[in-house]
Amino acid sequence: MSAITIESVSKSYGTTPVLHALDLEIPDGAFVSFVGPSGCGKSTLLFCIAGLEEISDGRILFDGHDMTSVAARNRNIALVFQDYALYPHMSVRENLAFPLRHQKAEEQAIATQVAWAADLLGLNPFLDRSPAELSGGQRQRVAVGRAIVRHPAALLMDEPLSNLDASLRVKTRTEIKRLQRELKITVVFVTHDQEEAMVMSDRIAVMNNGVLQQFDEPMKIYRTPLNVFVASFIGSPQMNLLPGEMAPGGHGPRRLVGVRPHDLALTANGGSDAFTVTGELALIEPAGPLHYLDVDVGGQLVKATCADPNGLFPGAAVTLSAPVQAVHLFDRESGLRVNS
Amino acid sequence: MSATGALDKADGVTAQAVNRPLAQPLRPQRMRVPGFAYLTVAPTLLVVAIVVGGPLVYSFYLSLHRTNPITKKWLFVGFGNYAAAIGNADFWAAIGRTVYFAGFTLVGSTMLGMAMALVLNQRFLGRGLLRSFVLIPWAMAPVSVGVLWSFVYAGDYGALTGLLDDLGLGRYAMPWLGDGFRALNLVALTQVWSQAPLTALMLLAGLQSMPDSLRRAAMLDGAGPVARFFAITLPWLKPNLLFISIVTTINSLMAFDILWIMTRGGPGAATTVLSWLGYLTAFQFLRFGEGAALLYFLTALSFLLAIVYFVVFSQRSRRVHPPSAAVDDAQPALLAARVRKPPAPPASLGAYRVRRALPAPLSRALGRGGFILLAFIIFLWSALPVLALVLMSLTPASDLIRTPPTLVPSTLTLQNFHTVLLPQSGAQFSTSVQARRVPLSIFNSFVVGASVSVICVALGLFAGYAFARFGKARFFRASLWALLLTRMTPALTLVLPFFICYRTLSLIDTRTGLIIAYSSFLLPLSAWMMRSYFEGVPMSLDRAALIDGCSWFTMMTRVLIPVVRPGIVAAIIFCFLASWNEFLFALILTSTPQAQTIPVVISGFLSQAQFYEYGPMFAASVLSILPPVLVAFFFQRFLVQGALSGAVKG
Repeated sequence: MSAITIESVSKSYGTTPVLHALDLEIPDGAFVSFVGPSGCGKSTLLFCIAGLEEISDGRILFDGHDMTSVAARNRNIALVFQDYALYPHMSVRENLAFPLRHQKAEEQAIATQVAWAADLLGLNPFLDRSPAELSGGQRQRVAVGRAIVRHPAALLMDEPLSNLDASLRVKTRTEIKRLQRELKITVVFVTHDQEEAMVMSDRIAVMNNGVLQQFDEPMKIYRTPLNVFVASFIGSPQMNLLPGEMAPGGHGPRRLVGVRPHDLALTANGGSDAFTVTGELALIEPAGPLHYLDVDVGGQLVKATCADPNGLFPGAAVTLSAPVQAVHLFDRESGLRVNS
Repeated sequence: MSATGALDKADGVTAQAVNRPLAQPLRPQRMRVPGFAYLTVAPTLLVVAIVVGGPLVYSFYLSLHRTNPITKKWLFVGFGNYAAAIGNADFWAAIGRTVYFAGFTLVGSTMLGMAMALVLNQRFLGRGLLRSFVLIPWAMAPVSVGVLWSFVYAGDYGALTGLLDDLGLGRYAMPWLGDGFRALNLVALTQVWSQAPLTALMLLAGLQSMPDSLRRAAMLDGAGPVARFFAITLPWLKPNLLFISIVTTINSLMAFDILWIMTRGGPGAATTVLSWLGYLTAFQFLRFGEGAALLYFLTALSFLLAIVYFVVFSQRSRRVHPPSAAVDDAQPALLAARVRKPPAPPASLGAYRVRRALPAPLSRALGRGGFILLAFIIFLWSALPVLALVLMSLTPASDLIRTPPTLVPSTLTLQNFHTVLLPQSGAQFSTSVQARRVPLSIFNSFVVGASVSVICVALGLFAGYAFARFGKARFFRASLWALLLTRMTPALTLVLPFFICYRTLSLIDTRTGLIIAYSSFLLPLSAWMMRSYFEGVPMSLDRAALIDGCSWFTMMTRVLIPVVRPGIVAAIIFCFLASWNEFLFALILTSTPQAQTIPVVISGFLSQAQFYEYGPMFAASVLSILPPVLVAFFFQRFLVQGALSGAVKG
């Protein structure tokens, strides 16, 4: 397993830049997610680490060794593709053995490794089937098996869960996380699903338009997003962002005030130092353990939560408040965080 | 929210299930084929039965008789003609040459086509242009291919000899087609030249359907370019390669036009393959019965190959279908159930082996250089002969028979084109009888091509719809395979009954006769092409149209035909080209300039060989390849679509 260092890496297709001078330090054995909207460059960065794409500028180092000009096949990197890329004409066993064969491993060693990976991932019943005869979840496990079977320097995953159905996705993400813990491998995980990234990662790199927005532990990103983009991308439902002049506290028109729906609750009378808004209840959305309230505050919809909506009805006047430490302040021009 | 939503839905489902009358079956009904579907395929099947089925039966009947061309008496001999053929050494020699010719063509065009497909699958500047050039040898008429290459190989004054002379290598020149075995190889090479583009197109379609992630995965798994080709790409192309080898083999069994032009079975009998032997027996010696029997062997061989293909093809393809999110593991992931410690990773694996033959930038540069070189060679191979043809058509006729030969013309002139296009006005040039036939033959080619393609596509359009929508019903599946089988029928087998019938119906020497004969291969082709087009139109469009109040006829005319209009254009263009290039039917079924098409007139230049005629002949050839070349450059996708719909071009 290796640590991966990304040093001011830039990449452009022709004249279109896709990555802008990125710097990242992925520690050995860490689970790091790249998250961002589609087209933000997260998959491109992953392919650059793998060596499948050439970078235009900067360096990529594994454990301090410069890998920038090393061919993909010599980097000892494994990648789980979004469509799994199982070799359709080979059995599961042959798929697992394929990377080992191209390392010219001994036949005995190949058998041992394949047996180990199959045991680890519960693939033993399927070893002699062809990929076409497997379900989506089984294919996904074969893809993971083929990736870890040769103990790669790092395991890269490109949206590996996006082809699974919702319930299986939740189970599988737990399993991948557990596998990573037990094998202590470095994992770089690309996803557009912020929840997936939050749940699985040791650290998250939030990207937008080829620029790294924030790189930190999941809860630190959630609690102190460094700019408006990160604030609205991480967390579901989205953070409420109000113009400074609409919000109490005298922040003025040059500020944006952000409050997460989970921090905003019904109140009878707002405390003196709390963030408080009043509006007309538009909609109640039940979501199991709690209810979301859509409140019309001076023409803008604000989302809040409440545990018990008894006695509430659309059209009622409600007052919402949040503790002052839950209020995020951003500069309206630059989008950068202002309070600490 | 989502939890309650699901609950509501579940309630709804239960309510429905309870309300449903118990008698109603729950499993989906078998597809019911509406009556109009039969109506749409009826004209096509009827015409095909008449113009293909009838001649096949008649030809078989013929093969059971011995006919005397002078007394016109028919004598029933049972399978005597077949027995006689099997007992004949010439027959077995012809079979041997056929096998050699087909094998040579198969290996050559597959390897060459693979190289072309691999190059064209890369993105590079000028790819579209290179693809156009690569397509030309296949798109141009086999007659023009034959004319071009027979002049290239011509003994004393040919282009190849001339080229060697120009390069100072004149001592290596020889009468290229003079030696028997060499002639067979050179004719097979010519067949490779004209067939490789079709192979390349079909392989390219296979390559482009391969997900890029497979290539990348293999790359990361440590496989180099060569290992990737053999371990990943080649297995992926296996179904394509199977189809290609069948098509190529059948096409080379049916090869006739280039043989007629280049060697006429000679020297001696060195290039007398089975098709030529059948032609010779039936049309030179006028022994219809024996000829029909020989050609039936050819047909049987084609059908056998076609059946092999069907059998293998109907077995399930093992390609991975994109995993669907909806249907997935019924049991939860096995992993989730596992609580025990995982097995420790075995330490059996050595350190990662890094293959580093050359530094990455250098190997990249080398790869790039090799690629450019290969692309350039493919360009030369495809374009150079065609450019030579154009050059020769612009060369004064006297230059073409100079000795010692040279490729460098003394001057460039449009005189040849003037001779063939405006034969009346050219008082200062001696315009031969043959050259005077060119304008009318171009007109004939246009009329026949336009009529037959419009008729065939109009009929095939409706049949294609029914085949696309109801192809699973037994009747439609059977007739679809029957249509494909007619595509595998050698035209030589059909032309003999056509010839005999047309004599009695006095359809010989008429454009109508040609139109009827051409529909025998163009109607199945257009139905097949339109079917693949309709398959790309979602069924929901039909349903929407029917719900919105259309009858099935207005659904076709108002909704579906406008949607498949590009397919109709592609089919018309493809059928027109196939008709434009056709030689065998036109040769046999016309004898006067009245209905002769351009390939027949070009071939006429050769049979009345006079030296000064080469110039006009090349001019006529250039005119004849003009439509295919224009299509290859400006409507390339129509050509590609036609080729990929399983087009078999003899």
